[in-house]
Amino acid sequence: MEGEQRRLLVRFDDEDLGHGAQVVLPRLALALHEGDRVALLGQSGAGKSTLLGELRRRLGGQVAWCPQHHGLVPQLAVYHNVFMGRLPEHSTLANLWNLVRPLRGPWREVAALCDALGLAGLMRRPVGELSGGQRQRVAIARALYQARPLFLGDEPVASVDPHQALRLLSLIDARHTTSVVALHQRELALTHFDRVWGLRDGRLVIDARANSLTLAELDELYPDAKAPEHDPLPDAAAAAMPSVDALPCARGKP
Amino acid sequence: MNGGLTKEPAPSASAWWRGGSPGLRLARHSLGLLALAILLVPFADLAIHTRDPWGELARMASGMAWPAWGALESPFAALGLTVAVALWGTLAGVVLGFPLALLFARSRLVRAGCAFVRAIHELFWALLFLQVFGLSALTALAALAIPYAGIFAKVYAEILEQTPSAPRDALPSGSGRLARFVYAELPLAWSQLAAYTRYRFECGLRASVLLGFVGLPTLGFHLETAFREGRYPEAGALLWLFYLLIASLPWWGHKRLIPLLLVGGAWLLGPWPRVDGALLWRFVSEDIWPAALLTGDWAGLLEWLARIPELGPAIGNTLLLGLLGTVGALAVALVLWPLASRHFGNRASRLAGHGVLIFLRSTPELMLAFIFLLLLGPSLLPAWLALALHNGALIAFLVARHADAITPGMPGLPASSRLAYELLPRVYPGLLALLYYRAEVILRETAILGMLGVATLGFYIEEGFDYLMFDVAFFLLLITAVLNIAVDALSRRLRPREAPLDDPCIR
Repeated sequence: MEGEQRRLLVRFDDEDLGHGAQVVLPRLALALHEGDRVALLGQSGAGKSTLLGELRRRLGGQVAWCPQHHGLVPQLAVYHNVFMGRLPEHSTLANLWNLVRPLRGPWREVAALCDALGLAGLMRRPVGELSGGQRQRVAIARALYQARPLFLGDEPVASVDPHQALRLLSLIDARHTTSVVALHQRELALTHFDRVWGLRDGRLVIDARANSLTLAELDELYPDAKAPEHDPLPDAAAAAMPSVDALPCARGKP
Repeated sequence: MNGGLTKEPAPSASAWWRGGSPGLRLARHSLGLLALAILLVPFADLAIHTRDPWGELARMASGMAWPAWGALESPFAALGLTVAVALWGTLAGVVLGFPLALLFARSRLVRAGCAFVRAIHELFWALLFLQVFGLSALTALAALAIPYAGIFAKVYAEILEQTPSAPRDALPSGSGRLARFVYAELPLAWSQLAAYTRYRFECGLRASVLLGFVGLPTLGFHLETAFREGRYPEAGALLWLFYLLIASLPWWGHKRLIPLLLVGGAWLLGPWPRVDGALLWRFVSEDIWPAALLTGDWAGLLEWLARIPELGPAIGNTLLLGLLGTVGALAVALVLWPLASRHFGNRASRLAGHGVLIFLRSTPELMLAFIFLLLLGPSLLPAWLALALHNGALIAFLVARHADAITPGMPGLPASSRLAYELLPRVYPGLLALLYYRAEVILRETAILGMLGVATLGFYIEEGFDYLMFDVAFFLLLITAVLNIAVDALSRRLRPREAPLDDPCIR
């Protein structure tokens, strides 16, 4: 099979994943190969973030990371937030000086990225003053700026419209050889990715090529979505959604 | 049992009081505190020692009403020094406290050290430094900077700890510790750190005024002299000057003006003492310790301890006054907060209520106590009044602000029901939580009021310094600090958990 020839990046063999003693994903078995474009699906609380966090931990320096709820610093300018993707590559002194006066090279590179992401002209604006979609793009810009071969995104296109989501995903694909992206848009998962991992209640119930799956099969991942299209309790979900500068809340029930 | 809508007998009064709802728990709690205070009142000396308090009050009031602006000698020098000391003292506190804040969570030693320096009032620090640096700018600055360093370390550490961790976690691995701090922690905490520093500067301004009471030539020095000598019109003018200074702070204390004030203030600070290293070392290593302790003579130490005058009564008075002050503040707050709330009265009554609250909370306790002392003579009464009024007004102001944010669910209730059913149940946990925060401050103030002649620990500390019994004074200072730390721990335990107070600027 062609998958076997590609380099194996990480493999889980019946491993328990979780936070400390709390197991979120018991006896997980899966493998990620170079070149894979994986959509990670599942309800909130199914264990997507836990899996992505573990992948990040194991793959270390190869990973460009785009966390859930962005993890941006609202008080700093767009430029500085994007620059943070490469903090370790500069000396401490250069990093400090950059806050006083932007370094010329990084400024040019970040400007090019911002142009590509439709953030041109916003580089000096504090992130706290941006709209939800703009913040999302800043978070993606920061991940792209890391220039790593592998992209891990925890719902990186959750708060942009479908057209923009496609554009952003193409941009991510163009700049990374491998990607694992947690999503809620099932259609996107089938059309834009070549592999789907589906989590339900802490178990990997789907691990298949995207072109072998149907929307109905993906619906099985969302037991609550039977009647209404999306979240059953939009009010509760909106209330529980932390703001950009709130702590990411602990995952739901294991 | 088949529950449901069958008749349930009305609970008897005693059964009702044993109920477990948070409101009842807080009510039992407050009544317990009140009962304890009433039980202990007979032990407090609340006598009025002056012959004509009302006449004296009338003379003071007329002094306030017709201040003698012309009689002031160099008021601007005193004002300038007051501001300069507050500004540079606070800045030095920040410089010392900020690095400590970074170590605060990790080092038990730092936490203990900060708790200790915080527990001693600015004026006691001033008394201590007065012995080595004399009446100099260094004494004034150190008196503010050292306790503030401890406070800044604690509060900054709490603020930094509460910054969200998501930006930190999003950084690529290998980002340096310092880079992580300045990019993903400091910007998130900055506005809160700045707000707290500003608040502390306002406290520093009041403390700087009070340094005049130990002889440093700030505004308080002129105030005390004028009051003591009965020159009330002059004292009135100085008091108005003080209120103007506090009220105009938003204008002259604008953040763009701060560098200018710092440079200007540096010129006004002085005189600078000639620091004698040998003398300083002797003070630290010998003078403040009992001789018996240094020679290891344990029997002699016991004898020394027994000779300390009135140790038991002084501690008892301090704790008693602290308790009475706390309960008094509770009563004052309960009475005063509706006066300033939008839910009660009319425009005129609210304006008057606000005026009373601003007057009471911006006058430092020591100054209030000093004025009451002139009126009533040296008993616990003036100190009690001052503590209750100042802290009660401060709490009432915050509670009124809290209540104003509440929209009653049942419009059109009469005022008494609105208070009892709609508002008080909602604001009371917060009120009590504030009171417990203040309890520690009240005890610290209680000790300091001794310097005015009230028989608390401060009285004997000042006496010790006056008679050059540094060992006794220092020992009493340590006792004060220990009492403070103990009361702080106790009030932290008793504080209602229903109302967490996140804003450090209200403590």
